[in-house]
Amino acid sequence: MTQTETPPTPAPVKAPSRLSRAWHSDLAWSFRRAPVAMISAFVVIVLVLSAVLAPLIAPHDPFNPATLNLMNGFTPPGEANAFTGDFFFLGTDDQGRDVFSTILYGMRISLFVGFAAVMLAMVLGVILGLLAGYLGGWTETIIMRVADVQLTFPAILVAMLIFGIAKGITPPEYRDQMAIWVLILAIGLSDWVQFARVVRGATLVEKSREYVQAAKLIGRSPLSIMLRHILPNVLNPVLVIATISLALAIIAEATLSFLGVGAPPTKPSLGTLIRIGQEFMFSGEWWILFFPAVTLLALALSINLLGDWLRDALNPKLR
Amino acid sequence: MKPALLLAVACAIATPAVSETFHWAGTTDPNTMDPHAGNSAPVLGFLNNIYEGLVRRGTDMAIEPSLATSWEPIGNGEGWRFILREGVTFHDGSDFNAEDVVFSYQRAASEASDVRSWFASVTDVVAVDDYTVDILTSNPQPIFPDSIANWMMMDSGWTMASSADLPAPGEGNFATLNANGTGPYVLAERQPGLETVLEPFEGWWGEERGNVTRGIFTPIDNSATAVAALLAGDVDMINPVPVQDADRLDGVDGVRLIRGTEARVIMFGFSQDKDTLFGTDDANPFLDVRVRQAVAHAINVPAILQTIMRGSAEPAAQLVGAEMNGFSEGLAMRPGLDLDRARALLTDAGYPDGFSFLLKCPNDRYINDESVCQATVAMLAQIGLDAQLDAIPVSNYWPELREDNYDMYLLGWSPGTFDAEHPFRFLVHTPQDNIGTWNFGGYSNARVDELIPAIQSEIDPVARQAMLDEVAATVQDDVVYVPLYIQPLLWGAADNIELTQRVDNFFILRWVTVE
Repeated sequence: MTQTETPPTPAPVKAPSRLSRAWHSDLAWSFRRAPVAMISAFVVIVLVLSAVLAPLIAPHDPFNPATLNLMNGFTPPGEANAFTGDFFFLGTDDQGRDVFSTILYGMRISLFVGFAAVMLAMVLGVILGLLAGYLGGWTETIIMRVADVQLTFPAILVAMLIFGIAKGITPPEYRDQMAIWVLILAIGLSDWVQFARVVRGATLVEKSREYVQAAKLIGRSPLSIMLRHILPNVLNPVLVIATISLALAIIAEATLSFLGVGAPPTKPSLGTLIRIGQEFMFSGEWWILFFPAVTLLALALSINLLGDWLRDALNPKLR
Repeated sequence: MKPALLLAVACAIATPAVSETFHWAGTTDPNTMDPHAGNSAPVLGFLNNIYEGLVRRGTDMAIEPSLATSWEPIGNGEGWRFILREGVTFHDGSDFNAEDVVFSYQRAASEASDVRSWFASVTDVVAVDDYTVDILTSNPQPIFPDSIANWMMMDSGWTMASSADLPAPGEGNFATLNANGTGPYVLAERQPGLETVLEPFEGWWGEERGNVTRGIFTPIDNSATAVAALLAGDVDMINPVPVQDADRLDGVDGVRLIRGTEARVIMFGFSQDKDTLFGTDDANPFLDVRVRQAVAHAINVPAILQTIMRGSAEPAAQLVGAEMNGFSEGLAMRPGLDLDRARALLTDAGYPDGFSFLLKCPNDRYINDESVCQATVAMLAQIGLDAQLDAIPVSNYWPELREDNYDMYLLGWSPGTFDAEHPFRFLVHTPQDNIGTWNFGGYSNARVDELIPAIQSEIDPVARQAMLDEVAATVQDDVVYVPLYIQPLLWGAADNIELTQRVDNFFILRWVTVE
């Protein structure tokens, strides 16, 4: 009886082997050889973590008006307020809100909008790209011509158009709550073309491969061939585009918010914070603009660098 | 370097005497070109350059002849007789005469007009002959000529021919985008929200006029952008300069700051005639004077003046500032900041845990209006009130207030007559057909309604002041409004621009000289 319980479960052996396999993979090897990628990854992880954990890290809750004291307004960073004696790490804005806390909360919204918009663009682009590449014919013509037409407009213009229409059809009392979702929709819809074009190209190549022919011969349905056979083989470039698109989506969100058509002042994203800070640019309160701007720069730059490294690392020609 | 220098020299040679283009920028675009469709400073101030009234205000703000050369009371306070200026023509060439005055009265006093409160006491306007007009009033109106400086004359022929017989503040009509006045400047181009161009009217009757041959107004709603445009030389004058940039602008070569105190008092008003809060079935707590008192005690006006207004504004306790005629000296103290008292008042009124309500504010009308409202949200949160702020552009703001889409709102009021009676008539009197027209909250007090006409017709200054004091005291006791502060007047201009700043924040182009 006791002997039957003893056979060793494979799990404890398998887990370290998977980890070590990841550690010894080509990707990890190239990562360990690229200091820029390591620094970028570190910055991204720190920023994303501090955004996710904002309620725990932030010294103040900038969205709870009862905790604000107007007399704390315009406190410079690293100095005590002349009236209240309160101290703020990165200073305060005109309402006496802690700039550090607003950046943490603002980054949450920026990152959330960025991730969600890229997800939307990716799902949409991959599906349409697969359909266009695999089915060909009229389906391909329609999808790719729509994509070409959309490419002739700057993405931010398309996003503003979608934002404007969505704002027009939402009732005013829901506008502030809907603003974030409308942003995601606007940026996501303006960004799917890149995914669709790449996936279509890769699908055209894969479609003529023998394994796809074989799958057809044994009678698999087109849907199953697209999803089970072609999709896994076209995902590498999608991953690269997704990373670079994330940086672009965060910047697009900041641009829209800076122009006043994005996240409302009651739920400020980094772009909204920069817009608010810009009013005080001439009057000497540089910190209200500077710190959100630097945060946005660091976030977008590190994600971009990470995307560049990923593209090189996954490119078989450069290996 | 060299081409730029050459270009500068070329410009310097090209400009003298031939044409003087003057660019100016403001936060608010006048939302109509119809002088009877908008009773707000951006509209009336701008249209004072195109249209004229029987009388006008000079650089010292005193009343002087304009389309009327003289005026006198009729009999024992039955009205006023105005003798009109002869030989005046409208921009389209038609003559100005008594018929146009009668027409402009009917139009401005009509139900659709936004300025009909000016004519509350007027019973009739009669053309005695082509150049004599009698304005009859129901009771003596000693300061009547003072109250009609912004009543602008429209040509009956032009207005009827363009089917703009009545003002249309909401939907708009021909007169919303076009203008035909007698004033010193012609509306040459009108692109709402983008650019409005004025050019001199060659046939103007007056003589004193600056040398601007083309005045271009551009609305710039972002104040930092406006400052940048002034510093870059893209515009010659901006109004207002944001308070945070005032000191800095003062120290920059080539531009200067023109500082004054505007007659405008910024205040909060409340919904006082609705049974429920906006969008809910909950009883309206602002009907209870104790709730309004609590709000007054919770708002830290010195803190707003210290930080948001940067020490550029004066606190206000009444609906007018101390410089205005009829100010009540004995009522100059604001309710102090007292959070414990405010909480006690709320508890007495039955709201120990506070309540949630809609606070409506403009975001491009008054200096730092949205910031002031945000700060107020934070201050009211200290006593448990949860204000949901909705800050919107002024073009939607007045219609929203007229539709009762608010529980508490921000309002600025500049008395057009420079008299304490003016805000009482517009903001405190029970709203009726042509009086109390800006009393959005619907406050109603029979005694006040009785006193206001009596003030208008009282000739003895002591008796008049006593009645003004009584109304002012009632307004304070009932917390009809919570006056906050008197708005500063901050204009920025290039050094080569000569201009005159009016305390009602009107920008008069004929007082501008480009050197």
